[in-house]
Amino acid sequence: MAGEDLIIKFQELGMSEQKAKETIKNANVTRNLQLALAETTKPLSDGVGMLLYHMATKLKPQIAAELPLLVRYISERKLDNTQRVDAALEYLLKCVQKKNATVDVAELDRECGVGVVVTPEEIERVVQHKVKGTYKQILLEQRYHFNSFKIMQDVRNELKWADAKFLKAAIDVEIFDLLGPKTETDLIPLPKQNEKQLKVKANTDVKSDVKVSSTSAATPDDDGANTIAELMKTKVHFHAPGDNFKTDGYVVTDHTEQLLRDHLQRTGGRVQTRFPPEPNGILHIGHAKAININFGYAAAQKGVCYLRYDDTNPEKEEEKFFIGIRQMVEWLGYTPYKITYSSDNFQQLYEWAVVLIKKNLAYVCHQKAEELKGFNPPPSPWRERSVDESLQLFEDMKHGKIDEGAATLRLKLTLEEGKQDPVAYRIKFIPHHRTGSDWCIYPTYDYTHCLCDSIEDITHSLCTKEFQSRRSSYYWLCNALNIYCPVQWEYGRLNMNYALVSKRKIAKLISERIVHDWDDPRLFTLTALRRRGFPAEAINNFCAQMGVTGAQISVDPSMLEAAVRDVLNVTAPRRLVVLQPLKVTISNYPNAGPVELQVPNFPQNPSLGLHKITLDRVIYIERSDFKLEPEKGYRRLSTKQSVGLRHAGLVINVQEVIRDPATGEVVELVCNSESAEQAEKPKAFVQWVSQPIELEVRLYEQLFKHKNPEDPNEVPGGFLSDINENSMSVMHAYSDQSLRGVKVYDKFQFERIGFFSVDPETSGTRIVFNRTVGLKEDSGKK
Amino acid sequence: MWQNFFAVSIKNSSIGMISELKIELNTLINLEYDTAKLQAIIKQTTLKQHTDFEDHYDYLTKLQMENRKLKHRFAVIKKSITEEQETNGKMHNDDNLSITEHLEKVFTSAIANAYPCFCNVRAIIAAVNVSSPFGDYQCNNAMGLSKKMKIEGIIKAARDIAVDIQKCIPESPIIEKLEVSSAGFINIFLSKKFAVRSLTNMLRDGVRPPRVLKQRVLVDFSSPNIAKQMHVGHLRSTIIGESICRLLEFLQHDVIRINHLGDWGTQFGMLIAHLEDCFPNFINESPPIGDLQEFYKESKKRFDSDDNFKKRAYNRVVTLQKGKTESIKAWQHICDVSRKEFQQIYDRLDVTIHERGESFYQSRMLKVVEFLRVKGLLEFDDGREIMWPDDSKSGIPLTIIKSDGGFTYDTSDMAAIRHRVEEDLATWIIYVVDSGQSTHFNAIFKAAKRCGILNSNVHRVDHVQFGLVLGEDGKKFKTRSGDTVKLADLLDEGMKYSLKQLQERGRDQILTPEELVEAQEAVAYGCIKYTDLSHNRISDYIFSFDKMLDDRGNTAVYLLYTYTRICSIARNSGDDFSNLGAILDTYNIKLDHKKEWKLAKTLLKLHDVLIQCARGLFLHYLCEFCYEVCVVFTEFYDDCYCIEKNKSGQIISVNHSRILLCEATAVVLRKCFHILGLKPVSKM
Repeated sequence: MAGEDLIIKFQELGMSEQKAKETIKNANVTRNLQLALAETTKPLSDGVGMLLYHMATKLKPQIAAELPLLVRYISERKLDNTQRVDAALEYLLKCVQKKNATVDVAELDRECGVGVVVTPEEIERVVQHKVKGTYKQILLEQRYHFNSFKIMQDVRNELKWADAKFLKAAIDVEIFDLLGPKTETDLIPLPKQNEKQLKVKANTDVKSDVKVSSTSAATPDDDGANTIAELMKTKVHFHAPGDNFKTDGYVVTDHTEQLLRDHLQRTGGRVQTRFPPEPNGILHIGHAKAININFGYAAAQKGVCYLRYDDTNPEKEEEKFFIGIRQMVEWLGYTPYKITYSSDNFQQLYEWAVVLIKKNLAYVCHQKAEELKGFNPPPSPWRERSVDESLQLFEDMKHGKIDEGAATLRLKLTLEEGKQDPVAYRIKFIPHHRTGSDWCIYPTYDYTHCLCDSIEDITHSLCTKEFQSRRSSYYWLCNALNIYCPVQWEYGRLNMNYALVSKRKIAKLISERIVHDWDDPRLFTLTALRRRGFPAEAINNFCAQMGVTGAQISVDPSMLEAAVRDVLNVTAPRRLVVLQPLKVTISNYPNAGPVELQVPNFPQNPSLGLHKITLDRVIYIERSDFKLEPEKGYRRLSTKQSVGLRHAGLVINVQEVIRDPATGEVVELVCNSESAEQAEKPKAFVQWVSQPIELEVRLYEQLFKHKNPEDPNEVPGGFLSDINENSMSVMHAYSDQSLRGVKVYDKFQFERIGFFSVDPETSGTRIVFNRTVGLKEDSGKK
Repeated sequence: MWQNFFAVSIKNSSIGMISELKIELNTLINLEYDTAKLQAIIKQTTLKQHTDFEDHYDYLTKLQMENRKLKHRFAVIKKSITEEQETNGKMHNDDNLSITEHLEKVFTSAIANAYPCFCNVRAIIAAVNVSSPFGDYQCNNAMGLSKKMKIEGIIKAARDIAVDIQKCIPESPIIEKLEVSSAGFINIFLSKKFAVRSLTNMLRDGVRPPRVLKQRVLVDFSSPNIAKQMHVGHLRSTIIGESICRLLEFLQHDVIRINHLGDWGTQFGMLIAHLEDCFPNFINESPPIGDLQEFYKESKKRFDSDDNFKKRAYNRVVTLQKGKTESIKAWQHICDVSRKEFQQIYDRLDVTIHERGESFYQSRMLKVVEFLRVKGLLEFDDGREIMWPDDSKSGIPLTIIKSDGGFTYDTSDMAAIRHRVEEDLATWIIYVVDSGQSTHFNAIFKAAKRCGILNSNVHRVDHVQFGLVLGEDGKKFKTRSGDTVKLADLLDEGMKYSLKQLQERGRDQILTPEELVEAQEAVAYGCIKYTDLSHNRISDYIFSFDKMLDDRGNTAVYLLYTYTRICSIARNSGDDFSNLGAILDTYNIKLDHKKEWKLAKTLLKLHDVLIQCARGLFLHYLCEFCYEVCVVFTEFYDDCYCIEKNKSGQIISVNHSRILLCEATAVVLRKCFHILGLKPVSKM
């Protein structure tokens, strides 16, 4: 087949068979290479093939027309290394901004250093100067641990077109000359800082249906980072403000150059992003990614991020959603530059719609909504009506003269997926949250979104992958109106397994009394996560670990929980709590009465403070820490085995087991104690409390039994049939007095049990804790 | 013994207890049974009610949603209306507003702002003679306000008041400047920029109608009687009615044109009887009645002299009213003859009208009688049933039912007005009928209001009355032999006169035969219509072909000649003025010369004139306007070269701006001609 031929041809360029096969899978590169091969005739001289390949992988569609020129330059050895090829590509791309600009060959030659020859002598001279001069001191200190790349860059600044291989060799020689051979210490690798990240990576459950398009923000082989700031600075490679035209698929018009110049003037070259939720529901974990990417990228670039309520649909908006969204953004630690509303632009959007009609790019259509459903809706019979007629009808729509559903305004444009003439305006006789009775025509998402982005001078319009198919309409609209056109970048959605985020379905769970409210800790809304005790920082870090790739990510909650543990481990003070108390009376209690003990908040780091607990003759231990019939390997208290009391300095032995005469249940143990210093070292230490206060402790487990409760294949009975009946249990636990005055959202580690957070239902005497996560991933299951 | 006693008592009591228990148990079982039954009922009913409630609940939610939507839609529409009205006042790029109305709004609000206590005073705006140096319009309120204030004890000079008002004038695109005269007039100077823009738009888009509240208007005009002559009285009604319809249609009203034909009545008895005698086979064959008037005369003669015939004639009236096939057929034949004659006249005069004769109201007359009777408005009077037009019961009452039980014109007119209001849904009804009928129509209008058919807040009714057409002797218009003049004959005569005049001017040599006929008709019918319309319709006028065909003064001939001359200017320029849009892309209208400016200002009065015409339904204002336009145009053309030629007749230069002004004049005249029923011809 042609494929076989191609593989052979590609191999002739210098690729391995493996590489050739891989290359063929990339349609873009293959096409570019085929075009390049068509331009070359004579057998290629050494290295030319791989340079052609390099060019083919980096050639952007905007400059595809210049391919013959590039091929010629490479074949003629005018571009004889990747550096020159890159410079040529960069230069050509710069020319694109001006539409129909011709390539100035002289300037191209200058930019690429065509014909510039750097002699080995020159290189040697400059390298010697650097190694024995500027870098001498630091080289002597760090020896071979010093990254010689810095020297290379430095030399390059002086000798731009120095051959990379030769340069590297020259540097190595000079360094060797300075330091001599490597010693043993030079060979010891420096301690790695990223161990934790690697561990985390191993836990991830990333679906492998990674379809990374060439437009995606990050390269496919890199993942996330530890924090959003790190992610945004190191892993994300978006265009610089004003370089919109260099991005793939960007449409350059006669006005682009001027519009971009004006845009830069308005923004001062600042990165501007926006988080644009529809205020019709509660934010969930998926939104956390969007918030982090938009706010995080702006912050990393010292730019700004708008919070824009996309309130074009009057039907669903409620005040509480507006407030909730803002609170969650702030909870995650971000401050919107400005809070805006799509509805603020209704007048402008309307005026633009009139412009589109006048330009014969939009028309009033009377097809019914149901006629437009399905895959192949019939084309509109009103597409060719006169401009005047559409103008009049659109005004009639605005004035309330036409019935709901009897007319829409449609754009004359076909979307990527073949959808014809998307609707821009529809009639709704519903008052709007903010504009009251001003309007009865409301713009659609497709129409509103890009125009609001343009109005706000957004530099990077970041959205999820589903909107990739709307990119062309996005660009089309801005260009049709001759207004600044932002760049849309897409990233993959974040889906949480065992969870459900649809507003309607959560409402169903609430109405069916399966969960209590929108912030029930078993849900994955942001309010629920906050209530459950997840620190915002952990959620942000989790998002950072997911990265900004184009792949849709489905992840188990355990991944998020791991991030939560990482944060709580170093932030949640320890406390002793028993969930199921068993009374223990210490028969030989060594003190006259209750004594106070000082206990560190973080046993690993006592400098982080102490708290007081009380020890008395009667203590309570966890019922499960005593066993009448211990199995093999059991390490805690039994009639034959002693156990230590944490922080008390005592080891106890069972003297007598008191049972309820009726049930035979153990109700109390009478133990004697020894000082831990004298006693034989027990196999384990357990938590205990004296003079306790009661806590209500709520334990949570996954709400759904299956990974994808909404998938009819996995759960044929629908998500309501997949409920884990035991997803919540309430315990009445004992803790010591130090937890008496806790505040809502205070977080603690109950030693040996897990991390807990104070529930908002806590009041006065009633203290309620939610289990955030167990100490280990499987600790919830026991 | 003690033991015994106990044993007995225990035994006794246990027997008692057992029986008591049994009773208790029974009661309990019964109770349980009842409870279960009741529970079942409760369950059933609550279940039922619950579902009922849910059904209703859904329905309720649906209705609430619908209500909410309607409320919103109502608010939107209301707002749109207000906005629309406001933009009317502001005149943003709005050429559809008359200048006077705009100035009225501007000055009314200025007066209210300057003197809030006079916020209900309406500004008085008067157009000033176009050649006056003291502005183009005037506001004359200051004097009146000064007097009003004097009554309140405040002495303030009219001039000072005028200055106060002037300070409060909002910015208006049509006002160039304002000057206050010493007497207190505020002189308003129009903006040339505005004029240029308005004229440009007019050339691009044609004359747009001034904005008025759209109404459904029914115009009752012409209305001749079957089998009788259509005389000059009908001619007036037909001409005036047609022009009123055209005017109102241009103003975007929804116009219904009604021919209230006299096609019903006792005279049909004798006509049918006579028809039966003359054309016994009329059922199968259309009777060739040549001259219906003659036919009428014959039957009348027999009716007056032959008692048998008279009896039969009465009988035919009854059979016709009962709808007997033969009589209906005969009636239809007779009507058709007249109808054809009428239609010929309408075609010649280019009149469109829909027939709805008196016969149409037969069933509705019965209903209106019942309607009035139920309302207790009918009173017996000497065997008749009458209705007083108003509650004062003065004047002449309407006769609703005659003593013989028949109906009258009053009855049919009441039925007609009710039909027009309630079925045609007209909010404005216009009767174009001669002045002699004014008492009758006044009574009908009052009665219709009294019985609730008309509501003064909603409906407008007008009796558009007109005077007589007189002969040159100043007496009623008659033929030389003293007969009433047949309309067809009159039109024929007009044709002869106009041909003669064209021939005198040698036009028969220049024009093609088709062009000549076109010109002949335009002149003949044009001058008859124009003469009628150019007089205040209430007064009588003298019918004279010689005066009508005068090519000087306010005549159709003068207007038509001027129009053809205007059309020839662009044609002679050598440039193509057929695509005005293209010309306007290159050339602007300039109004530097004072005659140019005067002509522009005259043309811009069109909207004011149209509104004035519609207000009182007087068309002579429009005729006067046309005449003024032509006179002012002639002045302009005398002073301003449009095309300059050298001695040998070659074109040296073409002034495009002026030719555009000529074209604007032609556009305005064409629109006026259309309303007046004049057919403009480009060559004459």
